[in-house]
Amino acid sequence: MPPLNLPPVKEVAKIPGDWVEERSGLVSVSKYFLFRNVPRDISWLQTLGSALITVFIVQVTTGILLAMYYKPSTEEAFDSIRYITDEATLGWLVRGMHKWGSSVMVILLFLHMGRTFLFGAYKYPRELTWISGALIFILVMAMSFTGYLLVFDQRAYWATVVGVNINGTAPILGPFLSEFLKVGPEFTTETLTRFYALHMLVLPAAITGLIVLHNWLVVRLGVTSPPWSKHRATKGDV
Amino acid sequence: MPRYTARERRERYLREYDFQKRTGKQFFPYAIYHDAIMSVIVVGVIIAMAVFWRMDFGAVPTDASAAREGGLLGPAYESRADPAIEGYDPKPEWYFFFLFELLKIFKTPELLIVGSVIIPTLMMMALIALPFIDRRPERRVSRRPVAMAVGVAVPIVLLALTWRGDQGAGIAGEASNRPGATAFAQTLGCGTCHKLADAGTAGNVGPVLDDALPDYAEAVQVITNGRGAMPAFEDIGEDQINCIAGYVATWSGGEGETPGPNAASAEQAYPAACEAAGGEYAGEAGASAAGVPSRGGSAQAAG
Ligand code: HEC
Ligand code: HEM
Repeated sequence: MPPLNLPPVKEVAKIPGDWVEERSGLVSVSKYFLFRNVPRDISWLQTLGSALITVFIVQVTTGILLAMYYKPSTEEAFDSIRYITDEATLGWLVRGMHKWGSSVMVILLFLHMGRTFLFGAYKYPRELTWISGALIFILVMAMSFTGYLLVFDQRAYWATVVGVNINGTAPILGPFLSEFLKVGPEFTTETLTRFYALHMLVLPAAITGLIVLHNWLVVRLGVTSPPWSKHRATKGDV
Repeated sequence: MPRYTARERRERYLREYDFQKRTGKQFFPYAIYHDAIMSVIVVGVIIAMAVFWRMDFGAVPTDASAAREGGLLGPAYESRADPAIEGYDPKPEWYFFFLFELLKIFKTPELLIVGSVIIPTLMMMALIALPFIDRRPERRVSRRPVAMAVGVAVPIVLLALTWRGDQGAGIAGEASNRPGATAFAQTLGCGTCHKLADAGTAGNVGPVLDDALPDYAEAVQVITNGRGAMPAFEDIGEDQINCIAGYVATWSGGEGETPGPNAASAEQAYPAACEAAGGEYAGEAGASAAGVPSRGGSAQAAG
């Protein structure tokens, strides 16, 4: 029997990685992502964006769990919320994290926007990063608006009626938009399912796409260092 | 920096940033370490809020449509949504308060669109277009006085509007016991949006009815179909609508025992419709008789 001619263990461990790398290039992409340089004096202010990714993941995860129990019809919606809150194991925690996560997300959005504004990070060459962020912001507000109705208690219902009526006051598009949201002149189960579809399919998909674009731009262009940084090659304002 | 053309400035920036990067540090492990700590803190805050929210919950209500009370962070849920309206509070999520407050500032029908559409649209457009509005290359805070002034003023205005939007409508006084007053102030919640002295309400979303002085036909129309931000109340029933419209037409602009100037327009319906509607609409028994004005004179004037 010829001796087994195995390569050393260290080499064996590399085989799956090499296999993936050869076929997709994913390993070098990850290496580039992790081992790229960032300016030396970035600080806590630059962590708000990644915290937003984390909160978004929390919202998606808790949202999926809620969707397993939620029933989007005018008859059952409120009862399913009661079941999640009062009876389901840790349902209150899942619902609570989703509810308060949305507030935390909006606060973080404002802080992150404030920091990029302060740093002048919306200027050349990062204009598109800012624009994609602004679109995310608007879509997140639309998430809150559509999510609010789903609890289907008195406050949710009437705040949404008023909100949809306000949309309806816009010229030309307004009545169309409010009819689209309501599916006709009345609030019905179709209204609720439409809000639900927007809230759990359309808007999250759009936001996910924009987050990917946003962060691709961030990695490509690099984050700015603070404008008050002393660590500069050239003098003067650039 | 008039010495440089726009293209030279862009090249200068790229060269400068290239230096920053070359002399920088690796994303892993330096930056990602801060990122991870921040994310743990944020998730911790979210869990803590969910737990504090939960700790203040009241008992599970036996009535399947009742609210489950809460504490500082609000109830677990309010009572079941009911399009036929009982006690109603159209309060949005806190981060929409500033928009809601704009509506209160521009509340006359002609101006409504300013608060509801024009200002929000301009704000969104300004937000998206910022990189094209502020095209100067300076990044240092001290060289961007206008940007910094705007950057401080906008959050202050937003915070002020949010804070004001959080203040309740406020109660101006007690509702009279005339037919329709209780329904207006409490059952239907018209008072959350409208100021009407006779009903003792001081809502500030919609027009002050003591100034708008709608007549009966207009009131019926608006209450049935809604208008602008005002929801339609057609589900409450015909007698109920006629009663409320009659009450509003009769008593907006009224003082003490003297009804308002449009009282005559509601003559036919009010207070008969309130009696037919019954319940909270009827006013206090006995008191209702005293509360009904004798309007022989005005009826003749109208005829
Ligand atoms: C969500 C807030 C809201 C509630 C609740 C509300 N209204 Fe209104 N109401 C408005 C607004 C806003 C307008 C102005 C609409 C417009 O012309 O654009 C209005 C207009 C009116 C008008 C017409 C005033 C005029 O200019 O002639 C009457 C009458 C009226 N409401 C009565 C009522 C009554 C009665 C109720 C309770 C059944 C009620 N409203 C509940 C917001 C509200
Ligand atoms: C879910 C929403 C968002 C996510 C997940 C997100 C994520 C990120 C991340 C991870 C970064 C890297 C630097 C940092 O963390 O500060 C970043 C940078 C940036 N973000 Fe966002 N962001 C979001 C929303 C926004 C919004 C609303 C705006 C502005 C309207 C915005 C504008 C920018 C800009 C201009 C940069 C570049 C900063 C620089 O280079 O210094 N982002 N974003």
